[in-house]
Amino acid sequence: MLRLFSRRNVMAAGVVFFALLPFFANPYVLFIGNLALMYILLSVGLNMLLGYAGQLAFAHAALFGVGAYTTGLLKLELGLHYGLALVAGVGLATVTGLAVALPALRLRGLYLALATVAFAQATLWVFTHWNSVTYGGAGFRVPPLDFEPFTSRPDIGVYVLTFVIVLVSVPLGWNMLRSRVGRAWVAIRESEVAAESLGIDITRYKSIAYVVSAMYAGAAGGLFAGMLGIVTPESFDLFQVIVHFCMVIVGGLGSLWGGVLGAVGLVGLQEVLRAFRHLQEIAFGGLILFTVLVIPGGAVSLLKRYVPGWKEPLRRTEHDE
Amino acid sequence: MKRSPFAAGTAAAVLAAAWMHAVPASAETGVTDDTIKIGALGVLTGPNAKFGDTIYNGVEAVYKEANATGGIHGRMIEYVREDDRCQASEAVGAVKKLIHQHEVFMIHGGACSNASLAAKPEIVAADVPWVITASTASSLTDPVHPRIFTTMLAGWMESYAQVQYAIDLGMERIAIVAQHDNWGRSRYDPLIEAFKLHGIEPVADEEIAPDPTDGTPQALRLQAAQADAVILILFPKAAAVILRDAYKIGYKPFLIGGSTVGDVGVFANNVGIPGAADKLHAVSTIGYTADDPAMAEWKAKVEAAFPNDTFNIYHMFGIASGQFVVEALKRAGRDLTRESVSQAMNDLSVETDPYAGPITCTPTDHQCHNNAAWFGLVDGVTKRVGVTAVTR
Repeated sequence: MLRLFSRRNVMAAGVVFFALLPFFANPYVLFIGNLALMYILLSVGLNMLLGYAGQLAFAHAALFGVGAYTTGLLKLELGLHYGLALVAGVGLATVTGLAVALPALRLRGLYLALATVAFAQATLWVFTHWNSVTYGGAGFRVPPLDFEPFTSRPDIGVYVLTFVIVLVSVPLGWNMLRSRVGRAWVAIRESEVAAESLGIDITRYKSIAYVVSAMYAGAAGGLFAGMLGIVTPESFDLFQVIVHFCMVIVGGLGSLWGGVLGAVGLVGLQEVLRAFRHLQEIAFGGLILFTVLVIPGGAVSLLKRYVPGWKEPLRRTEHDE
Repeated sequence: MKRSPFAAGTAAAVLAAAWMHAVPASAETGVTDDTIKIGALGVLTGPNAKFGDTIYNGVEAVYKEANATGGIHGRMIEYVREDDRCQASEAVGAVKKLIHQHEVFMIHGGACSNASLAAKPEIVAADVPWVITASTASSLTDPVHPRIFTTMLAGWMESYAQVQYAIDLGMERIAIVAQHDNWGRSRYDPLIEAFKLHGIEPVADEEIAPDPTDGTPQALRLQAAQADAVILILFPKAAAVILRDAYKIGYKPFLIGGSTVGDVGVFANNVGIPGAADKLHAVSTIGYTADDPAMAEWKAKVEAAFPNDTFNIYHMFGIASGQFVVEALKRAGRDLTRESVSQAMNDLSVETDPYAGPITCTPTDHQCHNNAAWFGLVDGVTKRVGVTAVTR
C-alpha cells in the first residue's frame, strides 16, 4: 500500500495535477498553482547551493529580484518579447550569481552568510533608490503579456510556461545532482579539506553551484514578474529569504524532492491558513520550529524512512534506466 | 409510447422557465435576495496589521449599523476580508480570491499603495466596482476608471495643501525640511511641483535623515534664510528633532506639518518642550480628533462592536468610506448591479461624520475626497483650525 506513495508515483500524480489545473481551476486557484511552481524553481535552486554544496548564502532573494527586474524592465522599456526578456533575466541573474561567487569563494560559514546578507541588502537598496532605472520604491507595471495564438489569457500563458520550465529544469537538476557535479558538491559540504584531497576542484564546483542556483532564481524571478504584472522592491526583501529557506528546510535540506514538496506544501499551507490570519504567522513559525527540533531532515526524511522508493542516491540506479 | 418533439420542446421550455424563476431576483455576482457580499483587500497580518484591521473595523461598524436598521433595500451586507500583507505579490492572490473564490459584488478596501496598484488590473479585468479606503497613489484613480473610486486624500494632495495653506496665511518666505527616503520623495516631488505652480521658490530646502539625532545645522540654515514658514515632510521623530533644535537656538517660525504629526497634541508631548509646538499646524485627512465630541457616538459604536479596539483616526477613515458606500448602494436601488452602483457613485456627494467636507465623486473625478483639515494647539488642546480644498 505504501508503495503507492513512492516518489515516482507522487511526482507523476503531481505532474498530472499541475498539467490539468488550467482546465478546472478558477483564476485564483490557477494563480496559487503558478506560485507553487515558481517556488519549486526557487527551492530546487537554493537546495543545490545550500543543501548540497553547503554554502550558507543569503543572496537568493536578490538574484530572484535581478531576474524579475531585468525581465520586467526589458519588456517595459524596450518592448522586448516576454520570452526574450525572460532569457535575458536568467542571463543577468546568472552573471550576478557568478559575481557573488567570486568573493564568496574565499568565505565560509558565518562570514559567507554576512557577506551575502550585505549583498542582498545592497541589491534591495539599488531596487529602491535607483529611481531612473528601477522606478524606485513604487516599482513599475510590466506591460500585458501576449500569448496569442496559444491562448488569449495571459495567466494561463504564464502558467503553462512556468509548468514547462519546471518540467525541464527539475529533472535537469536531478540529473546534475546524480552526476560528478552533485557528488563533488556533497563532498565539499562534508569537508572541503577531504574533498580537495580527493582531487575535487573546490573553486570550480562552488562556482558551478552559485551559477546554477542563480539560474534557477533568475528564471523564477522572470516568471514572477510576468505572473504578477508588477515589480516592486519589497517582493525581494529579507522576508523572501526566510520564505525560501523555510521551503528548503521544511521540505528537506539536501533533498531535491524535499525542496519540491516544501515549496508546494508551504504555498498550499499559506493559502489554507490565509483565512485564519494571525494564526497563519504562528502556524508558519511553529512548523519551522517543529521541523528543526523534531524532524531536522525535513518532511522528506519521514518519507525516506517509512515509504519505499524515496531514497535519493547520488548516482544513477537500475531503477532509473 | 412515441414522444412528440413538440411535447419534449414544451417540457424543456417549462423547465427552463422554472429554472429561470428559481434564480434569485438579482442575478448579479455577490448579490442574493437578502445579502450583498463586499470584499475588503488590505493589510491584516504583519507589522502594519493594526492599521488595516482598524480601518476595516470602522467600515464594518457602518455596515453593522446599516444591517441593524433593515439593511440596504432589505439586503444585509456581508463583509469579507482578505490579507494583502501590504505586498504587491500578496495582493494579487488576495484580490483573485475575493473575486473568483468569494465572488464578491464589489471591493471596498486597499491600504498600501503598492499592493493596491498590483491588485488594480485584476479588478479592472473582472469589472468589479472598487472603493479605495486608504491607499494614496494617485494613479489608482487618475485617469478615471468607471469602476474605481477613492475616499482617501492622494499623496500629492497633502503636499499641495501645505503650500496652499502657507500662501493662504500670507507667508512669503517659505522653507522646506524634508527627509529624502522613499516616503519622503513621494511627498517632496509634488511639493516642489506645487511651489512651481504658484511661481515661488523655497527660501531654503533642507534635508534631514528620517531618524536623526541632531537638527541644529538645518535649524541654523533656516534661521539664516529668515523663513517665516517652514513646511515639514518628516516622520514624527525627525520633526521633533527639528522643533527641539530650532527652539533651542531661539528660532520660532510658523511650522506646517504633514499628516504624520496630525495629532498635534500627542506630537507636542513627544517633543517634550513646553511651547515648542505652539506654532505648528498639521494637515490631516479627517476633520476631527478621535476624542472630539462630534465623534463620540461612533467611538461608542466601534468600541462596542470591537472591544479590543481603542477608537482612533484609522477607524474614522473606514467610517467615512463606509458611509459613502452605504449611500451609493441605497441610491443604486433594489435592482442592484455593478453598473448601477458605479453609476450611483459616479455622481454622488456624501457628507460623512469624520471628514471636514463632503466626499464628492463626479464623472470626471474619482478622487472623491479633497478636503484637507488643519489641526493646531488652541489653549493646549488639539483643535481644527482650518480646511483646504485641494486642487491640482
